[in-house]
Amino acid sequence: MTQATDAGLPRTPTPVLRARAAMGAEWIKLRSLRSIPVTLAVTVVLCIAFADNVCSNNVANYPTLGAAGKAAFDPLFVNLNFVQVGVIFFGVLGALMVTNEYGNGLIRATFTATPQRVLVLAAKTGLLGLVAFLASSVTILVAFLTGQAVLSSGHLPSVSLGAPGVAGHLFGAICYLTAAGLIGVFIGVLARSTAIAFTSVFGLFLVLPILVDKLPHNAAWKHAGPYLPSNAGDSLWGMRVQDFLGTTGAALTLAAYLVVLGAAAVVSLRSRDV
Amino acid sequence: MSTHAARVPRAGISLQVRLRATARSEWVKFRSVRSAPATLLAAALFVLVGAILMATGYRNGWATMSQSERTSFDPVYTSLSGIELAQLLVGALGVMTVTGEYASGLIRGTFIATPQRAQVLAIKALIFTVAAWVVCTALSFGAFFIGQSVLTSPAKHVAIGDPGVLTAVFGGGLYLTLVGLLSLFIGVLLRRTAAALIALFVLLLILPVAAAMLPSKFSSNLAEFLPSNAGGQIWKLPQSGAYALSPWQGFGVLAAYVAVTALAAFVLIRRRDV
Repeated sequence: MTQATDAGLPRTPTPVLRARAAMGAEWIKLRSLRSIPVTLAVTVVLCIAFADNVCSNNVANYPTLGAAGKAAFDPLFVNLNFVQVGVIFFGVLGALMVTNEYGNGLIRATFTATPQRVLVLAAKTGLLGLVAFLASSVTILVAFLTGQAVLSSGHLPSVSLGAPGVAGHLFGAICYLTAAGLIGVFIGVLARSTAIAFTSVFGLFLVLPILVDKLPHNAAWKHAGPYLPSNAGDSLWGMRVQDFLGTTGAALTLAAYLVVLGAAAVVSLRSRDV
Repeated sequence: MSTHAARVPRAGISLQVRLRATARSEWVKFRSVRSAPATLLAAALFVLVGAILMATGYRNGWATMSQSERTSFDPVYTSLSGIELAQLLVGALGVMTVTGEYASGLIRGTFIATPQRAQVLAIKALIFTVAAWVVCTALSFGAFFIGQSVLTSPAKHVAIGDPGVLTAVFGGGLYLTLVGLLSLFIGVLLRRTAAALIALFVLLLILPVAAAMLPSKFSSNLAEFLPSNAGGQIWKLPQSGAYALSPWQGFGVLAAYVAVTALAAFVLIRRRDV
């Protein structure tokens, strides 16, 4: 036994082996915990269904629009508006990936097996980022193609994938949804409890922007309001609200949130018990 | 042993004694789980700080507001708008009051000690209602007075004696209490924190936003009867509108949602295992 261990396995696993093992473990947890695949599937289906529903509702309502309303009709905005709500589900998904483990106590086994806690967080973040990116790509592309088909079959203005700005806005939506998933992971690490994490995700992405956007857009507002994560994310997919940031500013803002929250998550993970 | 047995009436314990014992144990559980005071404290922070921030934002931005914005400006809603965030916390508290017991397994001990499950639920709901109502009503009045002291002329402000104001401020506490009760009963129905929270937040927050994205007349009429939109009427000054529910009508709609959920909860808690 001792001999075989000494001869066959390296005494300390190399970083590559350790990272691969951590990724493997996270992947097993991701696909075998029922709540995560279910949330993912429900998110994709609901988002696409809602996008198509908004489009068909607009088709029904279009004749009642006045000339100004028809001129202002933006087929891409109508189609992607669901992102404002869909982003919540990506945040919840990311949070669940962490708080699930704290809820059932699995986190203790995880950190016993891999005491390098930051490595565990990196594996979770990487994997969730990948899954969220794939899921949001499918969601956005299918929602766009079916939504524009609904609009054009109703003889409403529609846009194609090749039209100027469209592909960029679709990519922006995908990035925003993925970033929301990652923010959810970090919030999950900071909160550790499902209830606090979910409350924070809904508060941050849904309630706070509604309250803040109601305030008069004076000079002070312009220095704060556009930098909310949701407002920055919404400018990425082309929600044209006055005073919102441009694409570069919005992307940098979202990236800054990821870096700051990620750093906070690393510090909290290393310093607190499990 | 036998002398002790002789003192206990054979027919069982009187209803009054049993109710008092249940009330005492539910109160111990409510106040000793750390999340309850912490959640209410966080709710207090959101409501009171929210009042300061929103009122300051409007006072400073008053000069840039258009005439129609000034006419539709609601000083009561502005000072109470922290409720929009606090409802997440009160809702989470309501859910966790029930699901926390299912998660820890304490619910089995509770139902062994008191097999009258409907009685346990009724007392639990009663204690939650009293605690939530006292705290939230105090917060609502606090937020109102803070907000009005910040909203100085030329910004529109009101006194507590002005028409409809007392109802709205009092209604803020009532609204949060009913939201908490709704959450408590949803917790009974779903028994799991994550599922119950998602169901609650979708019902309270996502459905109104989603309905607002659908332009048709039908969906906007329907949206008025969603729990948060209908219940929200009571803590705003009455608005004119073709289909607008009056404050107490809206509150009645929310109360009806709570009643239906409560009915389902009382039926299911007696039928299902724990």
